[in-house]
Amino acid sequence: MNRAIIFVLILTLFVFSCSKEKNEKTTGDIHIQSLTASSLKVKAWDTTLITMEATGSNLQFAWEANHGDFKGSGKTVKYAAGECCVGLNTITCRVFNDTGEASDTIMIRVTSYFGH
Amino acid sequence: MIRITILLFCILISLGNRVFAQCCASGNPFISDAEQPALQSKVLTAALTYRYSHSEQYYHDDSPYHDLNFSQSANVNYTELQLAYGVTKWLTVMGDLGYFFNKTLHTEGQDPMRGYGLGDAALYLKFNLYSNAKARFTISPSIGMKFPIGVFDQEVDNVKLPISVQPSSGSYKCLGTIFISKGIAKKMALAGFVSYEYAQLIESENYYYQYGQQWIGAIYFNYKIIKNLSLDLQIRNEYRAKATRENNEIVESSGYNVTYFTPQLTYAFKYNWFLSAFGDIPIYKYYNGIQMSFGYALSLRLTKKIDFITIQARKQASKTSN
Repeated sequence: MNRAIIFVLILTLFVFSCSKEKNEKTTGDIHIQSLTASSLKVKAWDTTLITMEATGSNLQFAWEANHGDFKGSGKTVKYAAGECCVGLNTITCRVFNDTGEASDTIMIRVTSYFGH
Repeated sequence: MIRITILLFCILISLGNRVFAQCCASGNPFISDAEQPALQSKVLTAALTYRYSHSEQYYHDDSPYHDLNFSQSANVNYTELQLAYGVTKWLTVMGDLGYFFNKTLHTEGQDPMRGYGLGDAALYLKFNLYSNAKARFTISPSIGMKFPIGVFDQEVDNVKLPISVQPSSGSYKCLGTIFISKGIAKKMALAGFVSYEYAQLIESENYYYQYGQQWIGAIYFNYKIIKNLSLDLQIRNEYRAKATRENNEIVESSGYNVTYFTPQLTYAFKYNWFLSAFGDIPIYKYYNGIQMSFGYALSLRLTKKIDFITIQARKQASKTSN
C-alpha cells in the first residue's frame, strides 16, 4: 500500500502542470505616446537608451526584460545584454499611477560580440 | 509518515503554482556534500550549510577571455537547510530549501546589482537498492524534483533585476541520481555518484526558456584520519548542455563543462553532531561562447543525526533496569 501511495505521488509530481492567472487593470488617465530606443540593434554588452513617453498624473515607470539588464530608472533607461542574451529580446515598460496602469513593449536585437 | 510525505508534496506543489508565472535564473548552487547513501529506518538527519562563492574571470571555451572592456565579479552568500528521514529500511525522504543572503554582480563603475531571498526547494526519494554491511557496499538510487518557490521578480526602483541575480531558477526540475559506496579498507571507502537533471520549459507571456540538461559525476575517497575526524577528497565533473529560447533558438553562450576538486574535513562531536568544512576548486573549465566562470566556493555544514530506534532502545533499557 505504501509503495502504491509513493508511486502515485511521484506520478503526480512528474505530470504536474501550472495554471496562469490573468489580471486585467484599467489604464486610468494614462496615455502612452511612444516607446523608443536609440538603437534597435546592439552588439553584446553595448547599450541602447530606451525612452517611454506617456501622459498622466504622477507617473511611475517599471521596466522588465526577458533577457539583459538595465542601468537607471524612470522614463529613460540604458539597456544592455551580454553574450548570454544574443537574440531578439523583449523589453516591457509599465507605466502606472493611482488611476491605473498601461504597458508597451519594444524588441531589441542583440548580436554576438564576435560579430556573427 | 506517509501522510506527512503527502502533505509536504502538496505544500510544495501549491507554493510552486503561485510563482510559476514568473521566470528564470540558475537557482540553488550544487552543494557537493549532498550525495549520501539512503538512511537507515527511523533515522533523521538535519543539516544546515553555509556557502560563500566568488566568480570573476570571463572564459571563452577553455581559456580566460581578456578582451572585454569592462570588469565584473560576482559573489554569493547562501545557506541551505536539508532534512532527511529514513521512512523504511528501503526508503529515505529528503528535502532541502535554499536562501540567498545575497547574489551580487559587481560591474566596474556601476552600482552593484543584488538579489536576495528564498531560492528553490527540492524533494527527493532515496532508495536503498542494495546494501551489504559485511562487504560495506551500498547502491542508493534517488529521484527528486526542484520547485521554484523563491523570489524571481526582484526589483530595484521598479526595474527588474537580471535573471542572473534572481534567487530562484524559475524552473521545475526533475532529478535522478545513483550513489555507490564501497569500503576498501578498515579506515577507507570509495564512493561515487552520477546525477541527471532535466529542467522544464519556462513559458510565460514574454519569456520562453529552457535550461540545458545537467549531468554531474563524482568520485570520492574517504579516509578516517582519527576516531572523530575524516577526510574526503572528491573529483566532480559538472556538464550542462546549452539552453534554448524562443523559436527553439540555441543560446550559444550557455552550458559548460567544469571539473572540481573538493576536499572536505568532517569532525564528529558528541551526541551525533557533525561539522564539515569543504571547498570547491575548479581544476578544468570549459564554457561555451563567453561566460563568467566559477571561481571558488567555501562551505561549512553542521549536521545533527537522530536515531529514533537507538533512543527507543535506550528508553526500554532504562525502564527494565528501573
